[in-house]
Amino acid sequence: MSGSTNPDRAKSAVAVIPYAGASTIAAKVIAAHVSGYLNLTVETRPPEKIPPDALDKRRRQYNAATLIQTIESMHRKDCFKVIALFDVDLFTPIFTHVFGEARQNGRVALVSLFRLESHMNGSSPPTDRVLERAAKIALHELGHLLDLLHCDDDRCLMYFSGSVDTLDQTGFNFCRYCRTALRRKLRQEGIIDTPT
Amino acid sequence: MDIMIVDDERIIRESFFHWFQKSGHKVATAASGKEALEKLAETPFDLLFVDIKMPGMDGIELLAAVKAAYPETLVIIITAYGSIESAVQAMRIGATDYLLKPFKPDQLSLVMEKVVQQQKRQSEYNYLKGRLEKITRFDNIIGQSPAMTAIFELITEVAGADASVLLAGETGTGKELIAKAIHAKSPRANLPFIAINCGAIPDTLLESELFGHQKGAYTGAIQERRGFFEVVNGGTLFLDEVGEISQKMQVDLLRVLEEKKITRVGSRQPVAVNFRLITATSRDLEAQIRAGDFREDFYYRIHVIQIDIPPLRKRREDIRLLAAHFLKKFCHETTKRVDRISPLASRVLETYDWPGNVRELENAIERAVVLSKSRLLNDSDFAFLRPPPVTATPGTSLREMEKYHIRRILDRHEWNVTRAAKALEINRVTLHKKIKRYQLKPAGGKIGSR
Repeated sequence: MSGSTNPDRAKSAVAVIPYAGASTIAAKVIAAHVSGYLNLTVETRPPEKIPPDALDKRRRQYNAATLIQTIESMHRKDCFKVIALFDVDLFTPIFTHVFGEARQNGRVALVSLFRLESHMNGSSPPTDRVLERAAKIALHELGHLLDLLHCDDDRCLMYFSGSVDTLDQTGFNFCRYCRTALRRKLRQEGIIDTPT
Repeated sequence: MDIMIVDDERIIRESFFHWFQKSGHKVATAASGKEALEKLAETPFDLLFVDIKMPGMDGIELLAAVKAAYPETLVIIITAYGSIESAVQAMRIGATDYLLKPFKPDQLSLVMEKVVQQQKRQSEYNYLKGRLEKITRFDNIIGQSPAMTAIFELITEVAGADASVLLAGETGTGKELIAKAIHAKSPRANLPFIAINCGAIPDTLLESELFGHQKGAYTGAIQERRGFFEVVNGGTLFLDEVGEISQKMQVDLLRVLEEKKITRVGSRQPVAVNFRLITATSRDLEAQIRAGDFREDFYYRIHVIQIDIPPLRKRREDIRLLAAHFLKKFCHETTKRVDRISPLASRVLETYDWPGNVRELENAIERAVVLSKSRLLNDSDFAFLRPPPVTATPGTSLREMEKYHIRRILDRHEWNVTRAAKALEINRVTLHKKIKRYQLKPAGGKIGSR
């Protein structure tokens, strides 16, 4: 993805914020991928505390919907989109867990490292695999923030992955349709100026 | 895909909503079974996610109601109170699948894959059903009853022969459609088909229309005009309501049939004509002959082959098929989304006597579609179909009136003696006696009694 960036918006295009114990390295990797793939200015911010009311004590997990709502209210104007990175387990009321969560056309995307740090068989994958998974989820969720839908192409980053295995098999690129839609959206928002 | 989430918990509705929105589906939500049914009555949905445990109408009740009214709508049951019993019950009623919440994201993906497969099968089924509907059609004539099947065979047989055909049947039974089908299957198919309703044209005008006239033949005949016998030019001439024409015209037509020549009004020069004649009547021509109103020689000329078209009440098994056909036709014409007739309304249509036959059915469906505010035509949409009141003329005996009334009530209750007796406020034994006394019999089948 290429195209020149609007200097007024570039400063605060995307912010990656690690929460609590989430790895700052993972945050930096995500920032590098977003910047590389979408040619956006991305900043990595200092770690913040997890909003306590998002914890569901019965499930011992954090409610993704509550987190999105709280983070959205906290970072209302300081950046275009926020990627919040967690090392805790996230859920939505219908799902046992989610790797990431974002609302269509919303402002805040969540990424959880919790279930990316193990294989389906319980063993631990190498760190670079975990970081790759985190970057894929971040780009997928950012895609939703930029109005992309799930894609039927299993080589595309917008393909829905319900398990780490599927996630590992998913390509590390947007398909040409999703790429075109992304470019159009970023141009509409004034994030990039020139068509490529 | 059009999806509706039915759950009394707002957060569950929202979670589903956001997830399906990200997959590009059109999502609606309902907080209760009642609200879901209201939405379904307005808009069709492909898939419903229904929570089992809801106040008021529960998920199983909603599933049963949806499957009864909209069988093609797929339903997936969701619950946090899952039990094997409720799952089995839901699947038995027709649920596509069953999800115990919270579920893994993968599970929802798998369920959606299954739904897509089922939808594919449904559309294949609809396609095949459409093909089958075409098979039950014969040149736009719809019917699968033995009577209509026999007529279709007869049409094919008589089409090749050039003999005159008389179509006998009540008004609205589709006589013109059958005449057109005979023409279309005859060797004259590429030549004109001209239909004239003899009952609608005054005798003098009919003469001019059929035979044509010379310029100045009568006041107003300002130019020469060819009649239909000439215009049809080798094709088929269809004279509807032939029983309405005058004796003089019958003589003229008889001559044309014998000589295959006509003489224009005001001319003496005969012109050779070539046509096939198909006539139709809703009257009893033999009774007219006995009364001296119809010429016997003309009658034998026109009814070389006679096709009797049964009234709709004698081929009730075609009503559902015809109603579905007209529903589709008028939905298309009016661009309204009315796509089904409720079982109760179907029963009303099937038990009504249809004195105006297929035409009346067509008009009834059109009226119901135009006035309908929901996707489903209910029995109340056909409330205007009241049986014609029994006209008690001074000549009508009490016995005749009673016989007529008992027959109507029995027909209305599909010959279920128990229900009919209840409606008549007499006991079953008395009703059986009256059926025997008046020698009443159902149109084709056994008398039911429960």
